[in-house]
Amino acid sequence: MNSAVQPALDAPRGTQLSPEQRALVLRLAVLGLLGLALTLASQAFLTPGNLLNVLRQASLMFLLASGLTLVILCGGLDLSIGANVALSACLAGTVIQGTGSVLLGCAVGAGCGLAIGVLNGLMVTALRIPPFIATYGMLWILHGVTYWFMNGETIHGFPPAFRALGSGYFAGVPLPVYLMLAVLLVGTVLMQYTTWGQEVYATGANTEAAELSGVPVFARRLAVYAASGLMGGLASLVFLARLNSAEGDMGESLTLQAIAAVLIGGTSLFGGTGTLVGTLIGALILTVVLNGMNLLSVSANWQPLITGVIVILSVLSDAMARKRHGG
Amino acid sequence: MNFKSAFQTASVATGFIAACAISTATMAQSGEKVAVFTKNQTNPFFQVVRLGADSAAKQMGAVVTHYVPTKPDSIPEQMSQIDDVIIKKPNAIVFTPVDYKAMGAGVLKMNAAGIPVVNITDRSEAGKFVAFVGASDYELGLVTARHLLKAMGGKGNIVILDGVKGSIVSADRARGFADALKEYPQVKLLASQPGNFQRLQGLQVMENLMQTHAQINGVVAANDAMAAGAIEALEGANRKALVVGINGTKEAVDAIKAGKMLASGDYNGFLQGCVGTMVAIRELRRLPVPKEVVFKASVIDKSNYQAVDMPADKRSCPKWEEAIKG
Repeated sequence: MNSAVQPALDAPRGTQLSPEQRALVLRLAVLGLLGLALTLASQAFLTPGNLLNVLRQASLMFLLASGLTLVILCGGLDLSIGANVALSACLAGTVIQGTGSVLLGCAVGAGCGLAIGVLNGLMVTALRIPPFIATYGMLWILHGVTYWFMNGETIHGFPPAFRALGSGYFAGVPLPVYLMLAVLLVGTVLMQYTTWGQEVYATGANTEAAELSGVPVFARRLAVYAASGLMGGLASLVFLARLNSAEGDMGESLTLQAIAAVLIGGTSLFGGTGTLVGTLIGALILTVVLNGMNLLSVSANWQPLITGVIVILSVLSDAMARKRHGG
Repeated sequence: MNFKSAFQTASVATGFIAACAISTATMAQSGEKVAVFTKNQTNPFFQVVRLGADSAAKQMGAVVTHYVPTKPDSIPEQMSQIDDVIIKKPNAIVFTPVDYKAMGAGVLKMNAAGIPVVNITDRSEAGKFVAFVGASDYELGLVTARHLLKAMGGKGNIVILDGVKGSIVSADRARGFADALKEYPQVKLLASQPGNFQRLQGLQVMENLMQTHAQINGVVAANDAMAAGAIEALEGANRKALVVGINGTKEAVDAIKAGKMLASGDYNGFLQGCVGTMVAIRELRRLPVPKEVVFKASVIDKSNYQAVDMPADKRSCPKWEEAIKG
């Protein structure tokens, strides 16, 4: 696991695929197979409307999981991401309704997310608290603050200009999809083609070695938690705009799903390997499974079971290929 | 959780400033002490139940203390709150189990401590109670779905957004939906899919269902949050359908007022809190109490929303005779 490859620095040339590339291809194959099966089973699946629908649903999950991807491939974990969404969205929603200013509300939501991320990063780096515990503690604190702040109320009804962020279209494509593509592009360039990104990979692969070779480990780890927090805050705005409402428990089911999207996408929980493209595929697999079950009207009895089996299968293909190649 | 303080005002600063005021008023009279257990701080329904309990206690000169798990619906947390309460020994307890099966042991502990307990909202499987006060989820499902099917003129296509598979509330409401459908054989059920009582899932499942069903005339959601999600999905796709939910939350009332939602089954949280607490206090004062108060299922729509269209903390409990009529 620790013989992680740093793609841009020493990616093998020629026909041989790196383990990361192989993992990506296998995930794409799983997604393709799912798509093929659903195309055969339902006429509604392979239509422009439904594909855009799937992309929009996946974009929400991707935005949330993108920062988390950096944290995980840097060898950390962020369990507070869903609770971050809830608090950021509730604060942003309150500010938008209280002041009428969409910009101020967005700044508050993003700022809240960033602040949470920085606090997580400081706990992990400066205080040396294990990431699981630090962010699990943060999850409880955020729940506590959010529940107290909301007091069981739901905030709803936002100006159309703000709601467009979640439900608007540009040139026939939903706006969150553009956001997703922008984050994917910027993030991928940052991670694959800059020293900064390579240093994050190196920190995740082997922290001591990275430190000895002069990587500012402290700063990189702090930065990935900050990024995760900021993405949580930004994602909360898109959720808020799409749902047109905020409530205290809105983030509860998101954390595990986001972590699952990252891991299905091929990022290692041990750090050092993973890509944002992989996370996008992970988010798409999860979204397509639900989409397919709804299109086919699969009974509620079977839905959890089917989801579980597909999640395991999508990772199994890669694990078996890895074993065969002795990787 | 304890909301005893009369007014709390505070601000949360996260680099930016936001302020909110929480006010919960409880009379500081030296009346009977009643401990009120609810399931969570996140569902608006239980917030309204607590306000109902506060209002009843205020009217009758008793003192209410609230116990709410910080982690929503946490079984171990409610168990330990029961242990705490038994030590504090209130005169009576008004109790909603976070899980109707798993909390049985906790109820037996309260029984063993000799404290009278009134069961509200979700019927506990085990234990002795002064009375049960609640609504029938089956009846609510039945009248709410019936309301929609009637409004559709008894024909057209509908989809159902169910709650959590395995939850008794969801199962009872689903049974009500199914029986209402039997009364309108010309209405076609296109799909019945789980949304787990969550807004986001209600939205996404509805988005998905719209992809495969070109004509959906009505949506039955097992709670208001999913109904609101479905309404967002419909608006996003520029499509129209009549939508009903259950619980009668403030959000649903606003949507009904705005003409976005057809109706919501009234779960009557405020009255459940009122009557549950009244029964507890009456029992302590040796006044007669019924063994069971199940409110008649009713539907909030355009024609009658005014009665519930006010902040719950401004509402006050009806008189006992009025209240138990339902």
